[in-house]
Amino acid sequence: MPVERTRDKDKMEAKELIDRLKEIVDPEFVLSSEMDLALYSYDASLEKAVPDVVVLPASTEEVARIMTLAHEEKVPILGRGSGTNLTGGTIPVAGGIVVHFSRMNHILEIDTANRTATVEPGVITLDLQTEVMKQGFIYQPDPASQKVSTLGGNVGENSGGPHCLKYGVTSNHILGLEIVLNDGTVIMTGGKSRENPGYDLAGLLVGSEGTLGLVTKMILKLERAPEAVKTMLAIYETIEDGANTVSAIIAEGIVPATLEMMDNTVMRAVEETIKVGYPLDAAAVLIIELDGMPEGMDEKAAKVMEICKRNNVREVKLAKNEAERNILWAGRKGAFGAVGQVRPSYLCCDGTVPRTKLPEVLSQVIEIGRKYHLPIGNVFHAGDGNLHPLIMFDERDENELQRVHKASTEILKLCADAGGTISGEHGVGLEKLRETCFIFNESDLDLERSIRKAFDPDEILNPGKMIPDEPCRQALGL
Amino acid sequence: MKDFADKLQALLDKGDRDAVKTDEGVLEKYQVDGMTPKALVFPKNTKQVADVVKLANQEGWAIVPWGSGSKMAMGNPPDRLDLVVCTSRMNHMLDVDTDNLTITVEAGVKFRDIQARLATEEDRCYLPLEDLKTEANEFVCSDRSHSGCFLPLDPVCAGTATIGGIMAAASTGPRRLLYNMPRDIILGVRFVGPKGDIRGSGGKTVKNVSGYDVSKLMVGSMGSLGILCELTLKLLPLPESMETLLLSFGSFDEASAFASAVIETQLLPAAVEVMNKEAFEHLGSDWSLEVPDEGYVVAVALEAFKEAVHRMKNEMVKMGKQNGRKDHDSLGEYDHGAFWLAVSELSRKLEKSYSGIIRAKLNYRISEWKNIVAPASKILSENGLPCAVTAHAGSGICQLNVLMDRNEKTAMDNAVGAMEKVLDLSVQAGGNTVILDAPAEIKPRLKIWGKTGSDFVVMKRLKEELDPAHIMSPGRFVAGL
Repeated sequence: MPVERTRDKDKMEAKELIDRLKEIVDPEFVLSSEMDLALYSYDASLEKAVPDVVVLPASTEEVARIMTLAHEEKVPILGRGSGTNLTGGTIPVAGGIVVHFSRMNHILEIDTANRTATVEPGVITLDLQTEVMKQGFIYQPDPASQKVSTLGGNVGENSGGPHCLKYGVTSNHILGLEIVLNDGTVIMTGGKSRENPGYDLAGLLVGSEGTLGLVTKMILKLERAPEAVKTMLAIYETIEDGANTVSAIIAEGIVPATLEMMDNTVMRAVEETIKVGYPLDAAAVLIIELDGMPEGMDEKAAKVMEICKRNNVREVKLAKNEAERNILWAGRKGAFGAVGQVRPSYLCCDGTVPRTKLPEVLSQVIEIGRKYHLPIGNVFHAGDGNLHPLIMFDERDENELQRVHKASTEILKLCADAGGTISGEHGVGLEKLRETCFIFNESDLDLERSIRKAFDPDEILNPGKMIPDEPCRQALGL
Repeated sequence: MKDFADKLQALLDKGDRDAVKTDEGVLEKYQVDGMTPKALVFPKNTKQVADVVKLANQEGWAIVPWGSGSKMAMGNPPDRLDLVVCTSRMNHMLDVDTDNLTITVEAGVKFRDIQARLATEEDRCYLPLEDLKTEANEFVCSDRSHSGCFLPLDPVCAGTATIGGIMAAASTGPRRLLYNMPRDIILGVRFVGPKGDIRGSGGKTVKNVSGYDVSKLMVGSMGSLGILCELTLKLLPLPESMETLLLSFGSFDEASAFASAVIETQLLPAAVEVMNKEAFEHLGSDWSLEVPDEGYVVAVALEAFKEAVHRMKNEMVKMGKQNGRKDHDSLGEYDHGAFWLAVSELSRKLEKSYSGIIRAKLNYRISEWKNIVAPASKILSENGLPCAVTAHAGSGICQLNVLMDRNEKTAMDNAVGAMEKVLDLSVQAGGNTVILDAPAEIKPRLKIWGKTGSDFVVMKRLKEELDPAHIMSPGRFVAGL
């Protein structure tokens, strides 16, 4: 169960709060009707809770004034982008103010000389990527939700994507942040200059799930787009062969830009909906992509295909052009949507393990599915060991839902025990609060609490998320 | 004093005669900015570090952590100093996992030992080491039957520095152009906080968003938030081919035109280092390159697949010609390693020759580099100060080494004024200037950490919350944290 919290009675009445907010932001952008609030009560997770008010500021100054109000009145406050969060990070469990950044969606500057882009948090990830690509540059982090997710949300969650093995996660591409602190103070940390003395606050803020401040401006790192890309698709009779190929490629000294895998369950779902021509009798497909300078790439692609063959591949294809490349990718990009059409709901576990543990962990995940009578599809970032078992179910079936939660906890325990972690790119949010004890002890959690306290002593910033309140072993009944 | 040492000794193993040192001769070697500690502690593991820090916190003793000492000249002079905690006995490689491209080591393990451990069966190693034996002990090891890996860092003093010191100081070098910063390769950390608690964060996976990214907070925190004990870092496969191209030019304008042209291409060099003649000559005489007076050298590191290195070399040689290079040379794999090791050891070499050296690291927007390197050099020459200048083109970093002796009083005074101007210059270019080394007596007159930004308010809050007794490296960090 999520952590339940109710606002104290002596806190400001919702009506007065709304009136005060209307003095800060154009009243048109202060939302409080029942329907409006219902629309902001959920994200892409299974959690729900209704805020007191939703506000859509247009500037840093407005955000600072909203924050000052929240600070004075001790009202919970949390930021929200497109709501694609998968762990309940954007659910206002304690009510209060939801700050929706959709109006702060301007690309302020693309500075190719300094390899940076300066953006407001509401900019859609793909929009920025499309813009910089026109100038021959690339912003590397590419979460699957890039068509809808915002860059502010990516920063809040430290989003990953298929390219992380080679290029790192969002935090490796953030150079500077403008932050509104808990008391309304606006600070700038980092900047276009790549090295700034002092604590790495940007490093700490990225992935802090809105618990340390509200980000109002971001300086992103751009890179020159690679000259060449080669994409391959390999089809396997067993998942193990696919997973072993992944380790073997890296052991040969090749670090591909992407190593993505899908199992039979997901391939079937893809074929039922978007039809990209996957063989339904195969156990797994692996998408391998190399990028960089064209010199030596043909040789490396040949070597990769040879490694596939050594690992019993049934068939391996190399895309000859951009059109073929898009076909190879279509299935992967549409996988989550396709699974959504098989059963009404799915829960995506985001456990991550050291790459070499993939074969054994995957077979145990399948076991867990059998044990709880739940279909589990696997579509995952194999290169960085980031699993995404999709547990498919019907949310309306209470019994099934309970089994889903149990299975998910067990899968995360499995990942933690294999030397991995409970979340690779989706965050802890509400959903994995209890599971934090699989990887942290109380001393570790105390440190996190101290950090949070330094930023937000009154706990108004996205309360109830990321760090469990009570000793978490207790909560899990361990 | 006796009591002090007894308390410490009692904590650690009583029979362990190397655990605590209080003899003056030894203590003097561990001075921090001229201050001598009351005792030295050499813990054997994380637990012992925790015990020592817990006691220090109770007693209010100020601690400064120490690796191999290569970065101890950094920072403000400490407000006070009781204990130096030395990590040299914490030299275990806990987990060498080349299949997953990660390594977990204790903080006292030397950078060179890590690279030696990751060498191939054929002894290909990222550092040019003739002796691949390591001082470090291993708990979990894998054999050397992999294709070779390396730790993609390019720290100052690569030959002696410990990994704990490198990460605490966030030490970087020219090859950050390709491999990024220490913050980008750290995956997990275990450290002892100022109250003596063992804290952990992160793990072995590249992707990890479970909890705050405390590893990044600790990198570059200069021992002000705790003592790093165990670090998990990302490895990369050893580059298939490694070569260096050296080109000399008659002027900074020509050298910078070439370097800029290289940076603008889609080629992926590992480093493009521009240095003045003074700096190049101090590297040693192993490289035969004709450099005109007032001339500059551009050194380009190429670390990639064979075919890519071949192409980069060809194109850059051509570009060098177009930009009026005077002389050029290319170095094969072993010399390549030796050259960049010499670059990383340059500061140490200069420190030995110039007792009053001031070393400054300027950062700024990368596009501004031409507007920094020449004007900064000019400020120094106008003040009659000889200077070895190196700049990482494409990364926005320039290092100035002002070559003075400690007894040159006027030069020192001039240098203090010049550094103020250099700071203004870098601030105007969107950056800052950090003094990496200066004689203790003039440190108080210099702005060691440059200008403080609006984010200092949060740094202060963090320090107060995590180290309320101010025992961890008190006063040494930014704005006296």
